[in-house]
Amino acid sequence: MFEIELLFAIALFSVGLYGVTSKSDFLRIFFSLEMLLNAVILMLASSAHHLGMTQNLAVAYMIIVIATLEAAAGVLIFVVANKLTDKIIPDQFNEGADYE
Amino acid sequence: MSILILLSVVILAIASITIKKTVPAMIAFAMMMFMLGIYYMVLDEKLLGLLQVFVYTGGIVVLMLFGITVIGPEFPEAKKRPWAIVSTLLVAVALAYLVLVLFPDQQTIAADPDDQAKIFAEHYADFALIFALVGSSLLYGTMKMAKLLTAKRSYDDV
Repeated sequence: MFEIELLFAIALFSVGLYGVTSKSDFLRIFFSLEMLLNAVILMLASSAHHLGMTQNLAVAYMIIVIATLEAAAGVLIFVVANKLTDKIIPDQFNEGADYE
Repeated sequence: MSILILLSVVILAIASITIKKTVPAMIAFAMMMFMLGIYYMVLDEKLLGLLQVFVYTGGIVVLMLFGITVIGPEFPEAKKRPWAIVSTLLVAVALAYLVLVLFPDQQTIAADPDDQAKIFAEHYADFALIFALVGSSLLYGTMKMAKLLTAKRSYDDV
């Protein structure tokens, strides 16, 4: 069962990796980043349950906190960038800029 | 039961990044996080499951709704990146090989619930330090980005 859970975690990680590398809009990149983090949490939780490595749960809680911070900061940056540039694709935020 | 839940998680994950409409994609994402929370509860990690449901299905999805108000009802067209699927498959195969071939036959041991209470007491300082580092990095990045964008706005105004 542990191996099956690991395989599902790898599948979730791969879906997230595909989203990060293939999509260019902010929202789907964020979905994919959360999937990457959740794949790691799934792996940590299943190893804590099956292998008795309960310290992994503390790391999982930590990852949830960091993911929340990352989402809050990311949405803030995106909304501010959109207000200033009127663009919704992060690749285009710096188009034509020659300032520093 | 567990496998069905995990299968639904992966299917909902694929749906949330392939659906072209923003609201159905968001609903698929929220359902995926909810099913993951249910799965942790099935695994008897109830606190982790509750955190997953409250933080992801509650908090982060509401944050993403702000993004939807900016993007609109449909996602913009993405550039074609054919190498993405190939590199993803390569990474998936490499990870599966690492897990199943290089580390076979893990011994399963029942988890001791009392250990979980000791973890935070013993490693509290380490966690606080990591948390402070990550938080300050995010704050620095946000301020740097805001400064850059303000510079662009004043450049555009001139």
